Amino acid sequence: MTTATLSELDHARDVALDRSGWGRRFVFYQPRNFAFWAYLLLVGIGFLAFISTLAREYDAYGEAIGLAVWSFAIYAALFWWFTQHIDHYAKLPAKLMVVAFLWGGFAATAAMAANANDAILSLDGKTFGQVWALNWGPGLAAPFTEEWAKGSGLLLLIALAPRQVRTAFDGFILGAFIGLGFQIVEDISYAMTSAGTQFGANQVGASIGVIVLRMVSGVAAHVLYSAIFCAGLVYLLGRPAEPRNVGRGLLLIAIPMLLHGTWDSLGAIAGPSALKLIGLLIATIVVAIAILVRVYKLTVKREQDFVRDVMAPEEARNVITAAELYAMAGNRKARKAYRKANRTRRERKRARYVLNAAYALAEELAAARGGDTDQVRFARSEVARIRAGVPSQW
Amino acid sequence: MPDPETDVASVAPPPKFEPDERWVPADERWFGLDRRTVRPTLAVFALAFVMSVVLPVVDATVPYHDIVKAGDVLELEGDVTFVPEAGWGITSGLRAGQAPLSGEYPATATVEDGAMKLTVRTGQFHGDANRLLDQIETTSEALNHGRGVHVTGTPTTIVTDQGKQGARVRVTGPHTAGIIAAFVFGGRGVEAVATGPSDAGAEPAATVMRMIRSISQTGEGKQ
Repeated sequence: MTTATLSELDHARDVALDRSGWGRRFVFYQPRNFAFWAYLLLVGIGFLAFISTLAREYDAYGEAIGLAVWSFAIYAALFWWFTQHIDHYAKLPAKLMVVAFLWGGFAATAAMAANANDAILSLDGKTFGQVWALNWGPGLAAPFTEEWAKGSGLLLLIALAPRQVRTAFDGFILGAFIGLGFQIVEDISYAMTSAGTQFGANQVGASIGVIVLRMVSGVAAHVLYSAIFCAGLVYLLGRPAEPRNVGRGLLLIAIPMLLHGTWDSLGAIAGPSALKLIGLLIATIVVAIAILVRVYKLTVKREQDFVRDVMAPEEARNVITAAELYAMAGNRKARKAYRKANRTRRERKRARYVLNAAYALAEELAAARGGDTDQVRFARSEVARIRAGVPSQW
Repeated sequence: MPDPETDVASVAPPPKFEPDERWVPADERWFGLDRRTVRPTLAVFALAFVMSVVLPVVDATVPYHDIVKAGDVLELEGDVTFVPEAGWGITSGLRAGQAPLSGEYPATATVEDGAMKLTVRTGQFHGDANRLLDQIETTSEALNHGRGVHVTGTPTTIVTDQGKQGARVRVTGPHTAGIIAAFVFGGRGVEAVATGPSDAGAEPAATVMRMIRSISQTGEGKQ
């Protein structure tokens, strides 16, 4: 490897870090940013509306509310872990994900979509009759009101964090968190409603079915819709690291709206047959997940390239091997193949630790904007220590 | 095996300067704000305004006319039906024989005539009518927190045209009076809440009672 090549690699790393925004700090308090005030206002209104509903109904449905809040808190934590698990690459700041979650939970629900849904369903009933409104109202209203209420949050997030939200994959991840917030608050509201279906008696029995159903079906609901929608929104708008692709953007915006509309109309499409309903439910979930995986693979490619560009100089300087670089910038299969290439279980375990230490080094390099800081040098020494099998002194 | 101590990591260029996250370029400032954030924010505000103000206002201005004709029967979940008074308006609920495609009728139906209003609601319930009435009172008190209508007087018996015995109790509130009636058909409870102005005459009250007495369950009727 020549010096010139190393310089080129270092330059490519700088470009990758600059374009991806990886490692940049996110500051929420931005009084000179108009989006900051809009975010505060709309999330604040939604939060007050949600809390006042909770407080008003707590005395009557306390048991069901307690059960729902705890169940969905655990559910949210699992989803959070999973989303972190699939994002090995140029990670977004955790604070930004919290901001996305809160938008979905409070602004998109109580401050926006809930008002619009009620009005549209009521207008449907007045215009086309109650039967038509019950059959098709939710399926035609929610894809527009809920998807756009959630998706509009990404516009504010881009305005709040233009240096961090750079790719369609960033939109995908932030969309998932917006959807998660929406899903959790909506599920708690559904559990509260179901608690009253037996006149307030047997609250736990009345709401547990809804909670379980919402958890199972939630896998292919708001989290998925918003992840795809927001990836599409980034393609539609274009970002410094993601060239505008209007066709792809519109397609990815339309797909979750169509999935959402289909999901909300399943009862009407299936008719009174429970078997048909279950079949359609499963089919919709399978199709939705297949599309999600496809969009993930489509969007993650650019992030993998960033990892490769950031870590290539480390490979050139022999901090990591070519196989490790390939595994780091590859998918789950590539990482698995890298581990399996080792013969013994101990070696495979060590390979996994080396890879984790290399990812930690990438994070430090990103935070240092490619510089050679104490943290970066320490992260490099950790890769070497684990590779050598030396126990940590810390 | 690569040696991390070899080669020179310090060859990597030093970190480039990046301005503070809150910094706004001088040519992008507008009344102290970052002008680049104005357009996307206004777009979101516009969407929120349409969803939270425009649509509800449009809905409020569109009148709703679904007037009960003689012979109409409203059906609720669990084969529960009642006969609304001709000339009253149906604000929610479906006529018998007009089920949605899912086959499931909604659990609630409401009919109104001026300030008079009757809402019938069904749900699973295990117990008799008196227990259901107690449960309704408990839940209503907890939800109302002492505001709105509250139960006055002691429960009395009410019998439907079908011969089903239920329980009823008077409710009063600010300028409002009415009754709550409860019936249990097998494992299905039915709650009927009628409210109107406290100075409403005897005729509206008789109309409401006629509608409440018409409550039946198809299965029970056949027995």
